[in-house]
Amino acid sequence: MIVEVEVNGKRHRRDLEPRLLLSDFLRQDLQLTGTHVGCEHGVCGACTVLFDGEPARSCLMLAVQADGHKVGTVEGLAVVNALSPLQAAFREAHALQCGFCTPGFLMTLTAFLRDTPNPGPLEIREALSGNLCRCTGYQHIVEAVSRACGHPRP
Amino acid sequence: MPADTRDRNARVPRNEDARLLTGRARFVDDVRLPDMLHVAFLRSDYAHARLRGVDASAARRRPGVAAVYTAADLGDYSKPAPLLVPPPPIPGLVFHACTHLPLATDKVRHVGEPIAMVVAESRYVAEDALADIVVEAEPLEAVGDLEAALAPGAPRVHDHLESNAAAHVVQRKGDYASARTRADLVIARRLLYDRGAAAAIENRAIVAQWDAPAEELTVWDTTQAPIPIRNGLARMLGLLESQVRVVAPFVGGGFGPKIMMFYPEELLLPWAAMRLGRPLKWTEDRQENFHATTQERGQVHDAEMALTRDGRILGVRDRFLFDTGAYDPYGLTIPINTQCTLLGPYDIQHYDSEFTAVFTNRTLVSPVRGAGRQHGVFVSERLLDIAARELGLDRVEIRKRNLLGPDRFPHDHRILFQDSAPLVYDSGDYLPALEQAADMIGYDAFRRDEQPRARAAGRHVGVGIACYVEGTGIGPYEGARVTVEPGGTVRVATGVGTQGQGHYTVFAQIVAGVLDVEVTAVQVVTGDTREFQWGTGTFASRGAVVAGSACHAAALAVRDKALAVASRLLDMPADRLELAAGRVRVRGSSDAGVALGELAAEANPLRGAVRPGTEPGLEATAYFGPDRGSTASGVHAMIVEVDPETAMVDITRYVVVHDCGRMINPTIVEGQIHGGVAHGIGNAFFEQLVYDDQGQLLNASFMDYLLPTATDVPPIETAHRETPSPFNPVGLKGVGEAGCIPTGALFAQAVEDALHGFGVEITEIPLSPSRLFDLLQRGSRP
Amino acid sequence: MNLSGAFTFAGPRATVWDLLQDPEVLARSLPGTERLTRVGEDRFEGAMTVSVGPVTAARFAVTVALGDKAPPERFTMQIDGRGGVGFTRGTASIALTEPPEGGTLMDYTADVQIGGRIAAVGQRLLESVARAMMRQALDALNRELQARLDAGAGPR
Repeated sequence: MIVEVEVNGKRHRRDLEPRLLLSDFLRQDLQLTGTHVGCEHGVCGACTVLFDGEPARSCLMLAVQADGHKVGTVEGLAVVNALSPLQAAFREAHALQCGFCTPGFLMTLTAFLRDTPNPGPLEIREALSGNLCRCTGYQHIVEAVSRACGHPRP
Repeated sequence: MPADTRDRNARVPRNEDARLLTGRARFVDDVRLPDMLHVAFLRSDYAHARLRGVDASAARRRPGVAAVYTAADLGDYSKPAPLLVPPPPIPGLVFHACTHLPLATDKVRHVGEPIAMVVAESRYVAEDALADIVVEAEPLEAVGDLEAALAPGAPRVHDHLESNAAAHVVQRKGDYASARTRADLVIARRLLYDRGAAAAIENRAIVAQWDAPAEELTVWDTTQAPIPIRNGLARMLGLLESQVRVVAPFVGGGFGPKIMMFYPEELLLPWAAMRLGRPLKWTEDRQENFHATTQERGQVHDAEMALTRDGRILGVRDRFLFDTGAYDPYGLTIPINTQCTLLGPYDIQHYDSEFTAVFTNRTLVSPVRGAGRQHGVFVSERLLDIAARELGLDRVEIRKRNLLGPDRFPHDHRILFQDSAPLVYDSGDYLPALEQAADMIGYDAFRRDEQPRARAAGRHVGVGIACYVEGTGIGPYEGARVTVEPGGTVRVATGVGTQGQGHYTVFAQIVAGVLDVEVTAVQVVTGDTREFQWGTGTFASRGAVVAGSACHAAALAVRDKALAVASRLLDMPADRLELAAGRVRVRGSSDAGVALGELAAEANPLRGAVRPGTEPGLEATAYFGPDRGSTASGVHAMIVEVDPETAMVDITRYVVVHDCGRMINPTIVEGQIHGGVAHGIGNAFFEQLVYDDQGQLLNASFMDYLLPTATDVPPIETAHRETPSPFNPVGLKGVGEAGCIPTGALFAQAVEDALHGFGVEITEIPLSPSRLFDLLQRGSRP
Repeated sequence: MNLSGAFTFAGPRATVWDLLQDPEVLARSLPGTERLTRVGEDRFEGAMTVSVGPVTAARFAVTVALGDKAPPERFTMQIDGRGGVGFTRGTASIALTEPPEGGTLMDYTADVQIGGRIAAVGQRLLESVARAMMRQALDALNRELQARLDAGAGPR
């Protein structure tokens, strides 16, 4: 099946098997391996991408569903070797340890902070609650989000 | 730290983060090689069955399938995996080693045990082909419950053994029986801890590549211990160690099960890659992870504590069963940790501990963060709480009365720890930590004012406070090589891989402190046997302690070399020179001096000779092997509110006071603690692997096995105390597992306190809302 | 998993007995049964497709063996199903009595073991799915019974 999809601003046209998952398409066909797969059933959130700007689980979607749509991945967040403000806040607050779940958090939060520029700590925790992290206990992630919106501490 | 190790920007951000935040960091599943084939495994649906035959002919005929292997195709390679940790030399110890095979032969012993391996052009085709394989199996009664497993006539997991007992160990000190006769009070309880999953967000993955012309095998593996895996693979495949390279690149969380298990997949991919001459990749999916990656925590304790009427512990007796799963390649590390950790920070003179490890038809057990320590803490802390209630003593007070004083170190417990060394506490200062935790949580005011006020208003609030001591940083040894490149970058290579603990930063900080360079100027490589090939791995809270000490020693040697080269170059005695800001200069002068990079170039001349007794370059390798581990400790406290209608528990405050000796990077230490506490909260209230009596796991997905989310984990308040370890030059103690060790005991205590008046006594973990609801309905206090 | 219950058929016991021993009737009545054929005295083989929660349309090869037969009062049914997503094994005991108010009362009790992926991820739903299937099967059998009676195939 011929699929045309725009990923991080770049257009791709491929002939794909209908059963190919969007996560596998990104990771294997486009070699955008920053999107990680942790559960393959839509719970952990590591594979979260922006689908027409909204967070979506790429492990629950087929690549052919992306035909004619825009997909954003973690590789598209930084601008020329500079971390985005959210990425920089993650580093400053030690909001990542193994870093495997981190791309999913960044994509979820990119959409969240666009829609909610000035969230409180409880709102931040709610926003994070669809992504699983086993390393951090979430506290430094909450702190990073606060920093990214200009609050030094939550 | 000693004067030569500066506090190198203690809370500096991590060197590895930029790669991880931009998606550039390479994990094993990101490795992509030309001509690569993909692997899927056919796994047993039965927990226990006799295999009559496996017919893979249809799978082999499927287009896109390159090979299918069953046990019959493995020839001599079908051998039990190695025993990884032989038991310590405890007198009278009985241990039956039964390790797993690469593929099942005559029997399957747990759901998920691999039966056949398919290699195909894509994972999709490989999985299609699994459905073509026909397995003839005769189901057998399975062994589930630990006590039923030991009953006469129980089905046997391993036919050649007389029973399902895998091991029996007794450790004693003093004379518990006679201490008991002097007791005013004996508290005896049955205490339970059930299984949980480690649940790293990254599942396991392996890529294996055989380079036939070079006769070299490269294996990318999500392992916590690449060097032992390299050594074992070389031995089993008949290769030289130098022909095998194992790389553990970025690993997405370890938490224990990614240790050197020699999992079937780890054994088979390299073997098949050599036969097929093409690179192979296998990545575990989440459901496989629930069945095929090791788990932990199933124990049943019958314990008693003998006390005087003023609450002093005379002794403890504990008899427990330990679920080791279908095989026991990791030996007795977990139950011995339990046995040793039960003693905690308390002065327990008489101790009688006996355990039986039990084979069951469940997934294999190996250490998961905490590794049996939380069970010991659960037993001693729960018995103390119950004793305090019986004696009318305050729970903090009864603990204070039993703590080892600061004058009691080193403290020899006269039993053996998991590393075969005597259990000796190196240093500690327990009372101030307990007082600080009580102070931070506002224990007295809560009990005096807040709790009565809340109760009067019909709210059920409770406080808990629990102590633990944790053996960390065990041997045998680790090493590190520090090299100054001519460009000035300092490179550090060590064997312990990282699963998120910040090795690229912490080791850089240690070396940067010694050489007085920027932390960002130190580039660390870990987890690649080509870079460094001596050592064991990242487990038992030992990375920073053992490898960190090796980095420190290697950096000191490089500093001496730099001073020696500069001394020649500047014609100045070395003792008049110093390192400052990446340069060597005359002590106390404002000279620019010579950059370390220039000295490195100077030490590697194109002409002239390297004099006898000297070496080229600014490079040194050093090793560190502690005689025994260092003892970290801590106190956790929490306040909860319980809704008796719904049995939901709201953690309103969580306080951690901990002591891991000298800290290198307090922010990283806090991160380790936060993650550990979250893991502990999961174990205490959300996470339970539910097996039926026939060994079927009933909740093998994140929809049914609940990991704590950001709304389940409270903000955690931390305070650090630093009692340096005398067992290593930097004074370090481990911290990787600390957060989750006392959490179950603490949770039980706080919830029980909140439910004062309901007659609830909590003697089991995990305690799901539905289980707590049951306890509330019927009351559980004896 | 234990399933037990009772169901009253609106018809005589001998006809109910015959229906329960007829693989074609069973194939039509058990939801998801693609076929069921007699391969021996009291032994049937066939295929079934079952959907449980996230496991959709799982196909099982099924063997049914009847035993301990005491017509027309009771028999046992051993069921062994195997498929790509797991297995099911179970024994059902079925007793037929003639209550004073008429019809045929069937008391059944079944002990069913389910394993593999279908158990691991569908567990929350398995029992309700099994009960629903049992209800559908019994209703369908009752309809078969009525059809047979209407066709005059048996004594009323």
